[in-house]
Amino acid sequence: MKVLELINVNKIYNSAEVKVHAVRDVSLDFEEAEFAAIVGPSGSGKTTLLNMIGGLDMPTSGEITIGGVNLSGLKSSELIDFRLKNIGFVFQSYNLIPVLTAKENVEFIMTLQKWPRDKRDERTIGLLNAVGLGDRINSRPSKLSGGQQQRVAVARALASRPKFVLADEPTANLDSKAASTLLEIMETLNHEEKITFIFSTHDPRVVRMAHRVITLEDGRVVSDERQTQ
Amino acid sequence: MIWSIAWKNIWRNKKRSLVVIVAVSLGIIAGVFIIGFVEGWSKQRLDDAVYNEVSHIQIHNNEYLKNEETSLTIIDPGRISAILDTLGEVKSYVVRTKIIALAGTSWANTGVIIYGIDPGREKQVTRIHEKIVSGGGRYLDPAGSGDILISDKTAELLKIKQYIVTDSVIEKLRKDAVPAPVLEKLEAMKNIRFRSPADFRESLGSELARKEYDEYGNTISSEALEYRLRNKIQLTLSDREGNPVHAIFRVCGIYKTTNTGFDQMAVFVNAGELAELYGDEEILVHEVAVLLNNIDDAGKVRDRLIPLAEENSVRTWKELAPDAAFMNDFMVIYYFIFIGIIMLALAFGIINTMLMSVLERTKELGMLIAIGMNRRRVFTMIMLETVFLTAVGAAAGIFLGWAVTGFFGRTGIHMAGWGEGFEAIGFAATVYPIVTPEFIVFTAVMVVVTAILSSLWPARKALRLIPVEALRTE
Repeated sequence: MKVLELINVNKIYNSAEVKVHAVRDVSLDFEEAEFAAIVGPSGSGKTTLLNMIGGLDMPTSGEITIGGVNLSGLKSSELIDFRLKNIGFVFQSYNLIPVLTAKENVEFIMTLQKWPRDKRDERTIGLLNAVGLGDRINSRPSKLSGGQQQRVAVARALASRPKFVLADEPTANLDSKAASTLLEIMETLNHEEKITFIFSTHDPRVVRMAHRVITLEDGRVVSDERQTQ
Repeated sequence: MIWSIAWKNIWRNKKRSLVVIVAVSLGIIAGVFIIGFVEGWSKQRLDDAVYNEVSHIQIHNNEYLKNEETSLTIIDPGRISAILDTLGEVKSYVVRTKIIALAGTSWANTGVIIYGIDPGREKQVTRIHEKIVSGGGRYLDPAGSGDILISDKTAELLKIKQYIVTDSVIEKLRKDAVPAPVLEKLEAMKNIRFRSPADFRESLGSELARKEYDEYGNTISSEALEYRLRNKIQLTLSDREGNPVHAIFRVCGIYKTTNTGFDQMAVFVNAGELAELYGDEEILVHEVAVLLNNIDDAGKVRDRLIPLAEENSVRTWKELAPDAAFMNDFMVIYYFIFIGIIMLALAFGIINTMLMSVLERTKELGMLIAIGMNRRRVFTMIMLETVFLTAVGAAAGIFLGWAVTGFFGRTGIHMAGWGEGFEAIGFAATVYPIVTPEFIVFTAVMVVVTAILSSLWPARKALRLIPVEALRTE
């Protein structure tokens, strides 16, 4: 079942002096429970593409459809609500809420979605155990290592069972051990939760573990390969 | 959870938040205290005006108000009394005779207004009987023939407020812990009678060193003060034929209100004796003073009395003591102006702090919007942070302001140096600040309104963030 479809997506940035065609005629679709990496050199359009898929930026032309809904047809407020219910985000620099504990950070999205407390607690504890932080649920981000923070971010992204999770270079700030642990956790959750993961990366370890690798160059898709693990 | 995050967010930068909280507290303390001070001052003036001077309503002959001739008494006072007896709003009322006269002793003369009163009834309307000074005798006795009650100021003018340092005064001062060297210097003034405060103080100043005078001058003056009670006072007035008549009264007591202007003129005698002196068998009624159960009914009762009072004039305390009325009416405006200025200053501090807070958290706010926190919630969060920050300072400020004002409300604040000047225009020299529950509620509401208004700019700034751009910031 298709969870996400891109049809002839283009993104052009018009500044005063120069016109940048960041993404060119990209057409892709993603099935449920995919584990896909978008790779390419710096400036190839990975982040721009991810931002558009996540509804944070709009394409100049083309269509992005998530679960049958065309993002271009949504108003700003509808888009925020759509993101809340359908997309999980993992950022390069973790971006947890510093005043909340690990548990509260994971709970946050569910609270916004008005989940009942008992279900919230059950899901939060389950996810934090799954990412190996069951003993740190009451720690604030400042008391956690970078790898641990990114694992909390993954748990947060999955909390409300989104259609897919977007991760922009999730291992960029992690050492190799922390990166490997994170990737293993992400892969396990992808398998167990049946949630699509799409991540941009430079990291060859991430690329090796991906089931599908989409390569961008100058904003174009130059290859789209499926890998067997 | 938004409430919890907002509360936790204000403690992210403790130092900055504490600076704002302390600033808000100090502003509120100052506001509560100054308003309490003025409120206390205004209420004292109003109480003094109503209970010592004018009551809630006064009735006079219309013509008497134009020229205070003794013959212009109230028309049909019996009917006026009968009407007042039927009004439920009336607590009590009193009829008075008022005659302008010359008062004299062996040493001085002064012009006075003689109030011929029924001392028993007068106590139900005015509080002059509570204003007898220490060592100043007693209130007027209905059975006390030839008694006159005068003020401290009149006693001073008639030179029967005297000062004398005797052995017993020196002994009292010793008990008051006045040092022996100072007492030795007083020996030079012993048994000399001073007939004015100015003369006594001048002599005291020449005997004592400046520091000694500043420290012990008031104590020495108050112990050396001696009112010549039972001293004769001759009153000279015109009788009903217009001929001058003289009568001797003896001082039974000395009173002192906060209004020197009133004190200087008003002396009290029994109404019957005054009528006799004037040459009338009936008591002359120049003034009816009415005390109501509720001051707010004054206008309503006046409006009911006017058509019934015929040729007599009916006036409320607002017309009789316009200075007190002005202060009373002005208080609400004063609240708004003063608290408004404080709130404006606070608003700038709060806006500055919250703008800095939003600017520092651009990336985090962008992330919150990106993951699905809608703009209404972002706005609510920033607004709550502002309200919490302000509310903490305001709660501390209101409590401390209330405590400080309450403390001075009990001890009073004596405005040394300016006291005489204030009393000359009817204001108390010692002010007892008051904090009313209404004012506390008013201040709390103003603080919340200020906090909400102050949050609009920073919250708007947060709302305008574009997540994809905010996430790029460091």
